[in-house]
Order: sequence, then C-alpha cells, then structure tokens
Amino acid sequence: MTTKTPGRTGLTRYTVGLPIVLVLLLAATQADFRSPQNLLNFSGQIGALLIVALGQLFVTLVAGIDLSVGSVMSLASAIAATQAHPLAAVALATALGVAVGAANGLGVALAGVHPLVMTLSTATFLQGLAYVVLPIPGGAIAPALGAAATGQVAGIPAPLLWCAAAALAASLVLRRTRFGAHLFAVGGHPRSAYLNGVRVQAVVVGAYVWCSVAAAWAGLFLAARVSAGDPALGASYALESVAAVALGGVQLTGGVGSVAGVVAGVLSLGLMTNGLNLFGVSPFMRGVLTGALLLAAVSLQRRRIVGM
Amino acid sequence: MSRTVLYRAASFVLALPPAYLGTAVLLASAAALRPNLLSPFLLLLILRQAAPLGFAAIGQSLVMRCRSLDLSSGGVIAVVSYLLTSGVMPLPWPLALPLCVLFGALVGAFNGFLIVRVRASAVIVTLAVSMILSGTVIALSQFHAVGDAPEILREMGRARVAGVPLVPVLWIAALVPTALLLRRSAFGRVLDAVGANPRAAGLSGLPHLRVVFIAHVVSGVMSALSGLMLLGFVGVGNVKLGADLALNALAASILGGINFGSGRGGMLGPAVAAFMLVFLFNFLTSLGLGEPGKLMLQGTLIGAAALAYCLRHKDAAH
Amino acid sequence: MASKQRQPLVELRGVSKSFGQNAALKGVSLAGWPGSIHAVTGENGAGKSTLMKLLAGVHVPDSGEILLKGRPAALGTPARARRAGISTVFQELTILPNLMVAENLCLGRELTRGGLLDLRALRREAVQVLERTGIALNPDRLCGTLTVGEQQLLEIAKGLHSEADVFIFDEPTAPLNRAEVDQLEGLLRALKGQGKLVFYISHRLEEIFRFCDTVTVLKDGAHVATQPIEALTQEGLVALMVGRELEALFPERPASIPDLPALRVERLAATPHGPAVSFTLRRGEILGIAGLEGQGQREIVRMLAGEQPRHGGEVHAATAAIPPGSVEAAVRHGIALLPEDRKGEGLYLDLSIEDNIWLGPLRQTALWRRAPRDPALVRRLAERMGLRTPPAQPVGSLSGGNQQKAMLGRWLAADVQVLLVEQPTRGVDVGAKAEIYELLRRFTAEGGAILAVSGDLPELIGMCDRILVVRGGAIVADVPAHGATEEQLLGHALRSESLSEATA
Repeated sequence: MTTKTPGRTGLTRYTVGLPIVLVLLLAATQADFRSPQNLLNFSGQIGALLIVALGQLFVTLVAGIDLSVGSVMSLASAIAATQAHPLAAVALATALGVAVGAANGLGVALAGVHPLVMTLSTATFLQGLAYVVLPIPGGAIAPALGAAATGQVAGIPAPLLWCAAAALAASLVLRRTRFGAHLFAVGGHPRSAYLNGVRVQAVVVGAYVWCSVAAAWAGLFLAARVSAGDPALGASYALESVAAVALGGVQLTGGVGSVAGVVAGVLSLGLMTNGLNLFGVSPFMRGVLTGALLLAAVSLQRRRIVGM
Repeated sequence: MSRTVLYRAASFVLALPPAYLGTAVLLASAAALRPNLLSPFLLLLILRQAAPLGFAAIGQSLVMRCRSLDLSSGGVIAVVSYLLTSGVMPLPWPLALPLCVLFGALVGAFNGFLIVRVRASAVIVTLAVSMILSGTVIALSQFHAVGDAPEILREMGRARVAGVPLVPVLWIAALVPTALLLRRSAFGRVLDAVGANPRAAGLSGLPHLRVVFIAHVVSGVMSALSGLMLLGFVGVGNVKLGADLALNALAASILGGINFGSGRGGMLGPAVAAFMLVFLFNFLTSLGLGEPGKLMLQGTLIGAAALAYCLRHKDAAH
Repeated sequence: MASKQRQPLVELRGVSKSFGQNAALKGVSLAGWPGSIHAVTGENGAGKSTLMKLLAGVHVPDSGEILLKGRPAALGTPARARRAGISTVFQELTILPNLMVAENLCLGRELTRGGLLDLRALRREAVQVLERTGIALNPDRLCGTLTVGEQQLLEIAKGLHSEADVFIFDEPTAPLNRAEVDQLEGLLRALKGQGKLVFYISHRLEEIFRFCDTVTVLKDGAHVATQPIEALTQEGLVALMVGRELEALFPERPASIPDLPALRVERLAATPHGPAVSFTLRRGEILGIAGLEGQGQREIVRMLAGEQPRHGGEVHAATAAIPPGSVEAAVRHGIALLPEDRKGEGLYLDLSIEDNIWLGPLRQTALWRRAPRDPALVRRLAERMGLRTPPAQPVGSLSGGNQQKAMLGRWLAADVQVLLVEQPTRGVDVGAKAEIYELLRRFTAEGGAILAVSGDLPELIGMCDRILVVRGGAIVADVPAHGATEEQLLGHALRSESLSEATA
C-alpha cells in the first residue's frame, strides 16, 4: 500500500541531499560538531523553527503564506513572561493562536484578501500588542515551562522530543486524516475540490489556525528555553519558516509538500547556522547564506508559471 | 431623480479603491482632532515624506499587474545607502548617483531573470536577494561603517521649486509618464494581457516574458530612487533604511486598487494610498500614540481596508 | 421507456436564475422519471448547464422549487446535493492532478476508522469501482500523469461510484473515443435498468438519439419542449433548438485549390526517436487532422505553433524557415493558434472584447510605441462575425460561441496567414457553429490556410478540403474530405499500418 507518491511530496535529491551533505561536511571537519553538547544545543536551536515551519507547511499546501508567525511567537513569549501559572500561559497562547489563525483564515478564505496582505496586517497589529504586553525583554517564565523545554526524559533532551512530537503530529494529520487529504485537494485545485464536496473554506481556515497555534507554541518553547519573554523574539522567523519550507521542496503554489521535506529544510538551515558558528564565520553572513540557499532551492523547483 | 444620482454617486465612491475613502476619512478626522496637520506647509512636508514610498509603490504596482512581486527594495536601499555613505565608493555625485540607480536596475534584472527564465517564485527570489544584499551590507559595515549621506541628496531633500518641495514634484514627474505609458503604449496593453491570462499571452505570441522582466528592472530602479530620497531625508547611512518599504509598497498598491493580475487602480490609486499611509503615521504620532499603538492601528487599518475592498468586489470576481 | 405510473424522481418547478443582468433561466419546469436517460439540450446560453448546476448544488435558484421524490429539497452546496442522492459529472474536469486515482475517486467520501483515514479500505473501494465500471486505470497513479481521455473516464467512474438516484452528465464524451463512448453507453443503460435517472447534457445528436429516451430542449433560458425521443427526428430536434431548420451547416467547398503552399512541414518529430510527419498545407485550403484521442494531433499543432519544442524537421512558411520552440517566431511568420481551452489558454476573460481583439495586431507593435486603436475596425469585424455584444463587455461574460468568435477575431484582425485551430466548435451552439464554419471558409477564400484538429469526424468531413489521419504520431492516411465517411476515417485511425506501408 503506497501512500507516498514522489510527485506530491516535492522531495528531490537536492532537498534530502543538502542536509546530508552538510552533516557529513561538518562532522568531518569540525570535531566540536560531534560533541553531545553541540547536538543538544542544535536540537534546541532548530526546535522552534521546526515547529513554526510545520505550521507554515499547512498554509503553504493551500497556496497561502503566513507572515504573522513571527509576531505570534513574540506575543506568545510576552504572554508566557507575564503569566505566573504555566497552564494559564499555555492556554492563553493557544487561544491566541486559534484567534489569529481564524482571523487570517477567514480573511483569506471568506473575504478573498491576499494572504500576504492579510497576514501582514495581523502581523503588524500583533507586534504592537506584544509591545503593550511586554515593553522590554524580561519577565518571568513559570519554572514548569522552563523544565518542559530544557529538561530531559530518560536521557533524551526535551527539545529533541518536542521536535519528534511535532513532526509526528504533523505527519499523522497530513497523511492519515480527512483534513490532511483535503489540504492537498484544496491546494491542487480549489474549484475542483469544491465540486467534489470538499469544504474548501473550512479547510483553509483550519490550515491557518494550525499554523498560528504552532507559532504560539514555538514562541512558548523559545521563551521557556531562555527563561525570558521578548517582544521581538519572532522577528526573523516569518521569513525563515518560509525559507525552510521552500528548501523542503514544498511548492508555494500549493498541493505539493511533505513533513519530511520541511524537516530536511529546517535541518539545512540549522546546520548552516551551526556550521557558521563552528567555522567562526561572521554571524552576519547567515543572512547571505540563507538567501543564497533559498535561491538555489527555488531555482531547482521546476514550474510552468511565471511570477508569484 | 436626484436619489438615483445620489445612489450612483455613492456606489461609485464605494467601488473606488480603499485609498480614496480612507484618505477622506483620515483628513476629516484630522480636521476634527489635529487641524494644524492640514496646514499646506505640513501637508507638503507629508507629501515629501511619502515620496519614497510613492516611488516604491510605482514599481511594486507595475510588477503586481503582471502577477509578480518585488520584495527586494530593502536590500537595494541598504546597498545604495552603504555605497554612498561609507566611503567605499569615492566618486563625485554625478557618477555615484547614476551608478546606484544602475545597481537598482541590475538587481531588478537579476530578479527578472530568475523569475522569467528559471521560473522561480517571485516571493522567494526577491526575498532571498534582499537577504543576501542586506546581509552583505551588515557584514561589510564592520569594516567600513556607514556615515553621512552625500550633501547633494540632503540638498535635494530640502530644495523647493516655486515654493513647493522638489521631491514631490519629482514624484508626480514619475507618475504621469508611467500612467501614460501604461494606458497608451503597447507595453501597457501587453502588461494587462499578462496579468489577465499569462498562458494566453504566451500562446498569442505576445512578448510576455520581456514585459515581466522590464517590470522588474523598473521596480529595481524605483527602489534605488527611493533609497536616494530616504538617504536625503535621514541624512546618515543606516543599514535598516527602507527595510519595510517593500511590504508597505505592497500595502499601498493593494489599498490603491492594484491586485495581482489587475490594475484597476491605475497609477493614482497607489500614490494616494502612499500619501494616506504616511499621513496616518504622522497623525497617530501627533495623537501621542506610541510605537505599539501605531503598529496596532496600522495593522487594523490595512486589514480593514483590504477586507472591505475584497468583500465588495468578491462577486465581480466570479 | 420511462415508467409514468410512479412519481417523478426529480421535479423543477418554475425555476429562475440570473447572474447579474443575465437571466440564465426563466421559469423552467421539468420532470425526470426513474429508469430514464433524459437528454437536456439546446444552444449555448440556453441554460442547460445552469439548470443542471441547480441540481448539482453549485447554484441556488432565485425562484421556483426543486423537488426530490415529491419533497422540496434545499441543495445549496455540492456536498449537500451529493448527500441528497445526486451525483454529477461536470463538463470541467474536477480531477485533482496532485492526488492519486484512488484518492480522487473517494474524495469527499473518505472512509475513516477511529477518526483516521482507512487507507486500505479506500484503495480496496477504488479498485472495486474501477473494476465495476470496466475502466482500466492503476489506482496508484498520480492523476496529473493521465491523458484527458483517461481523466474523463475517471470522472465518469467517480460519478457512477455513488449511492445516488440521480446522475447528471454534462458533455461527458467530448474527450472520449468511439470505444469509450460505447463503454459509457453500457454503463448508462445499466443505471437505467437499475431504475436510476440520468440527465445527459449534450450537443451530440447521434448520442442523444442513440441512448436517450426523453429529450428536453431549452432555448434562451426557457423551456421549449420535452418529448420522448421516438417522436423526433434529428432535423426536428435541431429545429426546436434554434427555432429554424438548418439546411446546410457547412459552407460550400471550393471546386479546386491552387497548389500554392502556405506551410511546408518536413519530418517534424516530437521526440528524438519518434515518428516524423511531413505534409503541405496549401493556401485557400482547410486541412483537417483526425485520429483517436492522444495520437499526436495535439503535438503536431503545438509544435507548429511554437509552444512545444521540435526534434528535427523543418517548417517553412511561404518564404522563410520557421525557428522551433518560439511562439513569438511562429506568430511573426503569420502562424497563429486557436487553443481548445478557450478560457484557460485563449482569452483574457477580464478584458473587453475590443481589448481581446486588439491583442492580435498588437504583436507587430514595438513595446514603447503607442498601442493602435481603431474602434471602427473592431465594430466592422464584430459585425462580420455576427458578434452582437457591445465591444466594451468583458469576454468572460460571453457565451461559448461568442467567445470563440472573439478569439478568432483577434487573428482575423492581426492578418495572419495560417490558423491552427483546435476543436473549432467545442462548447459552441449550433447557430454559432454555422457562423464559425462560414468565417473559417471566408478566411481561406481570401488566401489564408487552416489546419484544424477535431474529435468530431462529421465536422471535419463537412468543413475541410482534405483530411489527414494520424495514429501513433505518424500520418496514416491523406484523404479528400469530399466523399469521405466516418467509417473510412475511423478505419484508418484504428489500423496500425503507416501511410508508407499502405501505399507500398
């Protein structure tokens, strides 16, 4: 029984090859890379990006884009920094994700606003709100949250477990639920999906809700790791999550993509940053290299249409 | 009889891009709350301040009409500001300024090449190019720090023509020929065709690829020009100069009635929207709203305007 | 025969539907009985598709009622219509290219077990459906790799795989070959035998007379007649549809055509080791290309149009050799394409008729030059074509026939020498068909040349001077159209010898 068709996952040898090459390169040339401490740090570093990118994956599958994930992360971290009770923080952050996702999704699906404009406006609004909740970085994260993000379970570092859990959850939803199947259908051709009885608008809203909730939890995760909130926490994550998704072979026009691809994309980005640190290259080159990687990734995606 | 006229007038106004109605509402609110903002002196200053966004919006609306997008303005402006203020390019301004504009054109050409020949996604390509350019500038700033803007630019920013600031005049001087070009020339028709149905444009033998490429080159040039203007206003080089100009230009285009593939707003719509956004910014500052409040209001307004416009035109889309 | 004792399965009473200014349906009443294959026909713009879309849940009537088994039904969405027992195969393909055959078959009806998809059961069900309908498709294939004919078969399988009582088929046989149409007929008769109701929308009179028992004719959104098929002749049916008897659909052929080549094609091949075709298209000639689905006709046309790259071979227009792989070059040499997918590849739906027409002559203008504008020319052209809508109207709102004319008008205004036409009258009503044939003939009478691909053999026989038959990418026959028969052409299309063997 085959459920994975190469055409629909978007995986190519470049998508999977890049992280493998990077791992081999780093493992061979940098002794520090192989140290358990580095691996621990690494999984912590990519944890947030992976969670956000998995959220962005769902939105990209329906030919959308969500630029508000960064602001949602920031606001979630601000919430975590001002809530004493860990459960309250989690509940509020989740509610935030649902509300923002619903707003984005309804604007895109019901009103027909372009995703870039819709998510840009929510991003601006939420960024302002983040500054209101937490004007400067600081605050206090509930210790329970900190432990959940940085501790260990049976010797395995918590960040690694969170990564695995996120990837498994996303994979399960995409491949084994009706919602997941409908995501691909809507991304493939929304009108055809509608004529087949798929509730297109509900699916799109669901995708954005999923994305914002993922961003909210990523914000919680990051805040817990550094034990402080930061209203500008998520600044770079919007573009980086799009980069990770594109590197993962996910088509921005919708209908093609996979969790494995996103994992590969996140690994590539993370390994590159890690490598830059280990090689002692200026951290400012990170932007340049991410951009170059992105260009290479999209140049290899063969498309018919010109433009967006 | 007069009721149908009123009704028709009302539906005409409501069908206009949000920028017009929004500007009217803003000006009315300002009249009520901060009437001094409406003094001709200040209005002209606001117009001057809006010019860089206006130029960027010209380029952005051009690429949007052919279903593409340009998010590389931030990178172009970062490089331009670096080249002119860090002393890395010690050339007299008659040489340096055109070189910067040429650079903008080259970036546009690079974007255009990847988008048209390689068929890469415009969003990703222009974002990546912006990242690369900004990152390079940041890295190089360690060795050559940014400094003061060339005197000529600061002069230009202050100059006046018959009592009117020079910069807005330049803006109008850029708007009018572009509008004429779009409406009258073959380029404009082909651009409309590509926006309406790119596949049909290709199969009809129209130079559709060339048109998209040209649109990107123009957008690059506009980014460079915006950068020169911004540099003139701010007076010093700054790596973050123009960082959110691309997205604001996108918002201005949409609020001005331009959508991906359609140019219903003409050239005037995005220009009015650019003015509206900058006026809004100043208005909120004058109300004493801090940065957070401004951000929240800006987000709400863009979202509300886009929603209202799209909801009204949704049935027409079918 | 439909059994009249029982209650009608579906009844539409006085339904009306308007889109803006356009009144698509005006007070139409219709009843469909169980155990019946009920044709719905009429010119385009008559309202057939709109009427069926009301049943399919795509549109909601502005007034009137829809009754299912005697009780009022609210069919607001396709999902609800499905649940009410109505299964629809739309004219537009609704197969998703990025899903597999099995997934497309069960879309919207996925089986779950404990909240998760039951993938094994899904696949089993797909295999069952494919077997039951006799359609040979691999359930694991990605639908983007299927041919148009295969996709249509899948659509039909999807439509049949449903616990519905009412089945709607909107022009299902357009991309199908003869054998596949026979297959469909068998499936429809089986449905009839099970007491189901089948609504069959079609322009194809032979099919209507072959397997339908009742026919409803619509004209301009109103109901004209509903009669048992035995009470009608083909001419009579056409008369009902257009309100007049059409003696001659096709204009006269010229007695002889001078031997002036408009296009010389030599050893044109689509793949490096594939078959090559050679032929000459003369000025003043309409040359048809016939063949079963997917035998290379489309590739030949697209290579000549410059859209598809060539492997070897040369193409000469009257004076010069045409470089391969560039639509712009082909157009510059006076060769233009009328694609079969008007809306997707041919027309600018949001732009006006005038704009659409002017984008033809525009190809000769340099980009920075002023775009030419000649409203008088457009008006004259529109009049000549019988295009009676105001030129400022967006093309998207026109009927199929008028859209085809607008597309044709673009090239007539642009002064091209060779027209490559795909499916010249697909989705076009009878009245407009005759006008289009007339226009095409006039184009060649004035010195132009036409290469036409069509799946409608009677159309090719009627409108062309000469017909090439292709099979497997090679030309297997070259016959004069005058005196040709469908059987003869099909015979060539089905046999596997190539032309060289046949003449050896």
